[in-house]
Amino acid sequence: MNASSQTWIVVADDPAVSGLVVAARILSAEVTAVVAGRRATAESVVAAGVDRVLWLGEPAEGTPVEAYAPDVARTVAAGAPGAVLGSSEGAGRVMLGAIAALLQAPGLSGVTALERDGNQIGVTRSVFGGIAERRDLVTGGTAVIALAGGEISDPTGLAVPVEEVTANALTTGRLTGLRPKEKAPVNLRAARTVVAVGRGLKAKDDLALITDLADAIGGELACSRPLAEGVHWIAKDRNIGISGQQIAPELYVAIGISGQLQHMVGVRDADVIVAVNSDKDALIFKQCDYGIVGDLYTVVPALTAALAAKP
Amino acid sequence: MDFGLTDEHELLLDSLRELLERECSESYIAELDRTHQAPMSFRRALHEAGFASLGFPEEYGGTPCDAVTLMLLTERVAQQGLNNGYGIELLQAMDILEFGSEDQKAEILGLLATGDVPFALGFTEPGAGSDNSAITTTAVHHDGMVTFNGTKTLITNALDAKYLLVMAKSSDRGDDSRNAISMYLVPMDAPGVSTNPLEKIVWYTNDSCEIFLDDVTVPDACLVGVKGNGFRQLMRNLDLERLVIAATCLGLAQCAFDDAATYATQRVQFGKPIGSFQLIQLKLTDMAIKLENMRNFVYKTSWMVDQGIPLRSQGALCKRYVAMAAFEVADEAMQIFGGIGVNAQTRVSRLWRDLRGHRFGGGTDEIMVHIAGRQILREHR
Amino acid sequence: MTIVVAYKWAPNPQDAAVRSEGTVDFTRAKSTISEYDPVAFELARRVADSTGAQVVGVTVGDASIDTSLARKAALSRGLDRLVIVADDRLVGADSTRLAAVLATVVRRIGDVDLVLAGESSVDVTEGQVAMTLAGQLGWLGLNAVSSVSASDGGYAVERDVPSGTVSMVVTGPAVLATTADAVLPRVPGMKDILGAAKKPVEVLSLDALDVPSAQVTLTTLSTSRPAAGNRQRVIIDGSDPTAAAAELVGALRAAKVL
Repeated sequence: MNASSQTWIVVADDPAVSGLVVAARILSAEVTAVVAGRRATAESVVAAGVDRVLWLGEPAEGTPVEAYAPDVARTVAAGAPGAVLGSSEGAGRVMLGAIAALLQAPGLSGVTALERDGNQIGVTRSVFGGIAERRDLVTGGTAVIALAGGEISDPTGLAVPVEEVTANALTTGRLTGLRPKEKAPVNLRAARTVVAVGRGLKAKDDLALITDLADAIGGELACSRPLAEGVHWIAKDRNIGISGQQIAPELYVAIGISGQLQHMVGVRDADVIVAVNSDKDALIFKQCDYGIVGDLYTVVPALTAALAAKP
Repeated sequence: MDFGLTDEHELLLDSLRELLERECSESYIAELDRTHQAPMSFRRALHEAGFASLGFPEEYGGTPCDAVTLMLLTERVAQQGLNNGYGIELLQAMDILEFGSEDQKAEILGLLATGDVPFALGFTEPGAGSDNSAITTTAVHHDGMVTFNGTKTLITNALDAKYLLVMAKSSDRGDDSRNAISMYLVPMDAPGVSTNPLEKIVWYTNDSCEIFLDDVTVPDACLVGVKGNGFRQLMRNLDLERLVIAATCLGLAQCAFDDAATYATQRVQFGKPIGSFQLIQLKLTDMAIKLENMRNFVYKTSWMVDQGIPLRSQGALCKRYVAMAAFEVADEAMQIFGGIGVNAQTRVSRLWRDLRGHRFGGGTDEIMVHIAGRQILREHR
Repeated sequence: MTIVVAYKWAPNPQDAAVRSEGTVDFTRAKSTISEYDPVAFELARRVADSTGAQVVGVTVGDASIDTSLARKAALSRGLDRLVIVADDRLVGADSTRLAAVLATVVRRIGDVDLVLAGESSVDVTEGQVAMTLAGQLGWLGLNAVSSVSASDGGYAVERDVPSGTVSMVVTGPAVLATTADAVLPRVPGMKDILGAAKKPVEVLSLDALDVPSAQVTLTTLSTSRPAAGNRQRVIIDGSDPTAAAAELVGALRAAKVL
């Protein structure tokens, strides 16, 4: 299949598309969006400043956005863009999977850089959980790319019409309810400072030590996977790493975290990493800017006290 | 000769590692040790995953299991730093499954399932330690009942156990202790049973008690197996029990070695890690050699059990060597840690204490000589 | 009915070595059932036990995934049988290629109404195969699934999304990718492990499967080690916590991080 030089984005009812639009503009001047989900989402995408919006129509009551994946894939295939970008989270992956399957093209994630090389797309990705990087040229058709969606954009003032495309959503799934989380989801990505704790913490009650430090330093609380998914001491949306969030704060403080690859991938882009660990050989000391080798139960209160003292 | 693990060994050890990660962290063990508690929740998890019934006959929910596998698992639990965490209760329960009545079996299996210690072994007495024929506790049979009188001491897990497996002289079996001693399963809450916990400096996750039996009278259904066969019944799995102790020592010693070797790379004195000094390297090298010897001894002896090769002196030789060598490894580990090692918060101090106990638990170093020495001479007569 | 567990036999990159030119050497990393997949095995078994369905494990990859240990490791996790495609033409295969092979296997098994998979593989960590498989099959694909159970005429599914827990009813064939903590998978016991050797294994030849050929391919231009390894690594001895804390806070203030 001959792919055009156009870039498309696919939107699975999530108006936070600024990252997709910015990345798409790197690859081509014109950006077309295919939107599954509510009309309001399509209008948000218009506001984000794309050149054309194809909307699959208002979903029937109870229809999950994932049911539109085959329609999204057909619409994209008909347009044969050089690249199609979608969110690496939630239903975005379902859309990209359907597109990748229909086009028999690899779905690319972990993307750190995109470039257009004549008629082809170059993609730099971190691979194998981030231990290595690879730059590939996509040949033979459309590059299918998963990226962080970004934020909801401020309206650009440009207005294009929302073009409705006929869709034939799958009818095999029906939404029956939503139980909202008790607490509003935390946005660790927006936090300038994040204080994370790992397996070095011995008991849930000792979390107060860490929250005291987070308060003193003005940071958000986070954790490595065992604390969110093993013992459930900390909510899962505060889990940092491959199975959780990837963040880029100005300061990341890792307490009692050994520094396994699967965790460190989540903070690779932090400006400054500080580690406190009792094991001098912990992997994290090879990946931090400042490290204190010591017992967190004595070091953390000392840090909290030192922060309270005026410089 | 094949020193490799089978697929089944690897998978079983993977499962055990997963369980240990979930249910038996160092902080858990340290807390048990500090508060002198038994690892109940870990035992329950072992049971749920089928580890607590390995080797039991299938009709009792067990799975066939060879000695090599049992010892690999025992070693691995000990390597986590937990003393007596696996193996012994299982072997003791096997005695009941082999010789007990249907009621006794059901009771013991039920207790194992809940992570309880089904029974403590009531063998040692103030006057009968290594000389087990000197037992003086009596069991008088009368009118469908049995009445016990006597004192047991250094009884492991007596506070946690629901029953005491009492070794006592039956009143109507004459004086020859080999034929007079019978085995009885007596509830710990029977009137007349009292316990006195002994304060000791080893094995904090197992209590040790004196137990007084004052006219304890229970129905004679408490007899396990055949009257007068108590001794032979007890001996049935004794070689395996010695092996379990050896495998436990091996795992604990490995744990101490790993801690010491890691510490040697971290601790800086005179401007470099102490591991860079050859005096420390000499210690680590000799410790590694002992570990290799222990491992080979335990594995080969287990292999002999599985092949049906009579152990003769092998079980006693293995227990003696491994218990002693393991303590030597832990002692050198303490030395590498220096003053830090005696801090009660270090794992190595606990391993050192616990390994010391294995030089008499399950038969002293010296009794092993007594057992093996006679056998060796017998073979050269 | 049949529930398929699509899983991977894979090494952990934690144990891999990255060469200076950025290529990855997995030879010293031991392969296991990929870290997040046991959750899918467990969910599949629980659903099947309540409906009487059979659970079939499916894995595709290069020739190294078909060892006796690999087979038993999968079969000891509650499968009724196993189907393997192991072919060195799949060395380094991308997510779409793996999904294409998986799809042909699922179609061949026939009466499948549910495919369960883990959140992502431990080695490639892209989290894309399951949803591409859904695309390949034309089935509903759902990720972040935290719960599945049989319900009238289908399955009740819960998904863990940023705003909360979405509940759904699925009435047709579907591919579900689970969250990493949807359930705590049981560890295989001796019985499961011994039983594994007795369960049927079907090895399918890649040639016997009608797998669509790749249209878009990748040409690798370069590999590299990630640059972010360059940290300052100022290590402070914490044996005097107060002094260490003061030193760190001072350094952070001097660097204008605080």
